[in-house]
Amino acid sequence: MRRCRAITGATALEMTSEPLGMLLTICAVAAVTFAAAFHIHQFGEPSRMARDAGFSVVLVGSSAYAVFCTIRAFRRELESGTLQMALSHPVSRTAFFVSKTLGAFLASCMFTATVFCAAAVAAVGAEAGWAIAAPTGDVSRIWGVSLSLNAATMVLPLVVGAVLNRFFRFRFAASAVRVALAVSVVGVVAAAALARAWGLVPGAFGLVRRMLPVAFAAAVPSAVFTAAAAAFSVKMRDGAAAGASGVLALASVPVLGNYYLTDALAKGGSLSWSHAAVAAVAAIPFVAGFLILGSTFLKGRDLG
Amino acid sequence: MDCVIKLEGVSKTFRDFWLRPTVKAVDSLDMTVARGEVFGLLGPNGSGKSTTIKMILGLIAPGAGTVRVFGLPPQTVAARRKIGYLPELSYLHPFLTARETLSYYAGLCALDRATAKDRARQLLDMVGLSDVADRAVGSYSKGMARRVALASALVGRPELLVMDEPTSGLDPVSTSEVKTLIRTLSGAGITVLMTSHLLADAEDVCSRVCILDGGRKAAEGRIGEIGGSLEQFFLSKVGEGRDFKVADFLR
Repeated sequence: MRRCRAITGATALEMTSEPLGMLLTICAVAAVTFAAAFHIHQFGEPSRMARDAGFSVVLVGSSAYAVFCTIRAFRRELESGTLQMALSHPVSRTAFFVSKTLGAFLASCMFTATVFCAAAVAAVGAEAGWAIAAPTGDVSRIWGVSLSLNAATMVLPLVVGAVLNRFFRFRFAASAVRVALAVSVVGVVAAAALARAWGLVPGAFGLVRRMLPVAFAAAVPSAVFTAAAAAFSVKMRDGAAAGASGVLALASVPVLGNYYLTDALAKGGSLSWSHAAVAAVAAIPFVAGFLILGSTFLKGRDLG
Repeated sequence: MDCVIKLEGVSKTFRDFWLRPTVKAVDSLDMTVARGEVFGLLGPNGSGKSTTIKMILGLIAPGAGTVRVFGLPPQTVAARRKIGYLPELSYLHPFLTARETLSYYAGLCALDRATAKDRARQLLDMVGLSDVADRAVGSYSKGMARRVALASALVGRPELLVMDEPTSGLDPVSTSEVKTLIRTLSGAGITVLMTSHLLADAEDVCSRVCILDGGRKAAEGRIGEIGGSLEQFFLSKVGEGRDFKVADFLR
């Protein structure tokens, strides 16, 4: 268990310390928040576009993050020789592979949670904006608020990360990613509380609650893609592994189309947790299959 | 003789993607290392030293023959629980600090948190990196990274320490410190297997040496029994007829 914790922790830290991972996270949050600026376009229901954008980024972004960052983590381990060093210690190849994949999945869960919170802020904000703008048709004030929020979500994690790095020697990228998650969580609670207190969105917390199972279901594929990317990266070089995982990801996107998930939330509807659980259970054989495949590849590989 | 490492008829041929043989790195090698010995594995570049070491560590599977470490196949966790490895190049995660690196490897040895912390502190003190222990190792010089790698190899308190070119990249003072450390570890009952191109270093610390050439054992003997210096012995076994034939246009 201690071995697993050491490998998982180091991998999660590596992936969040990665500048590419930080950029992906902050860009995803910014993209989702930016959708709130277009809340005046209802697309059927208030905040529909913000939710659509949020779930799209959760679905596609978390899969892309999982694939590319997992491949980078595994390939670097193989090519820099740190894998040789690790496997000269008393840890089996299977335990190492599974623990590292788990660490990569934890990092992609952080990404998913951050983007989900940003999507919830955008959805609540969009409903509140519509409540303000609808009677007068004046949207100029709301645009300003939306764009300020967007800029803040991009800049704040970077500034706090830089301050923590400069004065306390914290890792810049890892700090920025954690701050982005913290800001998003605080943001979603604050936005829902304010929207309810001001009487703009009386059901703000209910909306966030209804979004949760959808986000969970949309994030399930990233577990499959993490395991797939890990397995392919043991056998193939960066490009080939990314290609194989990418084809797998693209092939499943139409099946997992977020339109239907988002639609389930329309007009106060909800997606039951049992549906989300079915998605998770359906993913288990795929994850297990890729873990077995990757472990087998690693066991048969000469290192050095 | 209490045998820590035993190789019997070990061969390794590397193959390409189509399984065509590319190079025979080790050929029918028999070798034993006794408990408490400082054993030197010597040879010119490409003689199969690193491949042999990696087979002993279970990182590379032998194509033929058997490798036993403490009587166990080296791929097993039980065998590797007793091994520490210092690679030729310091393979370290650049984003971790020296302290985190030692905690990570202590975690791989399944040490509890208090023991890991205590050993990390002692080892950092030993290798003289306590003052910079909280800096990422990616910013370290080659010599400093080498010290962290050495500390990482020792964190599990191994019974067998495998060192690939332990003094490579170190200044004369650090080289002397490493040689003293090897003697101290040997005195404490730890078996040391090392490779080196620096024959003077090997002569200083090794009790027995094996010379490889082209993947085969060219010679083996105790340092006190080889007659003359190790360099003379080495050159007599593998150095004959190896001078460059200088290209005509350079003459």
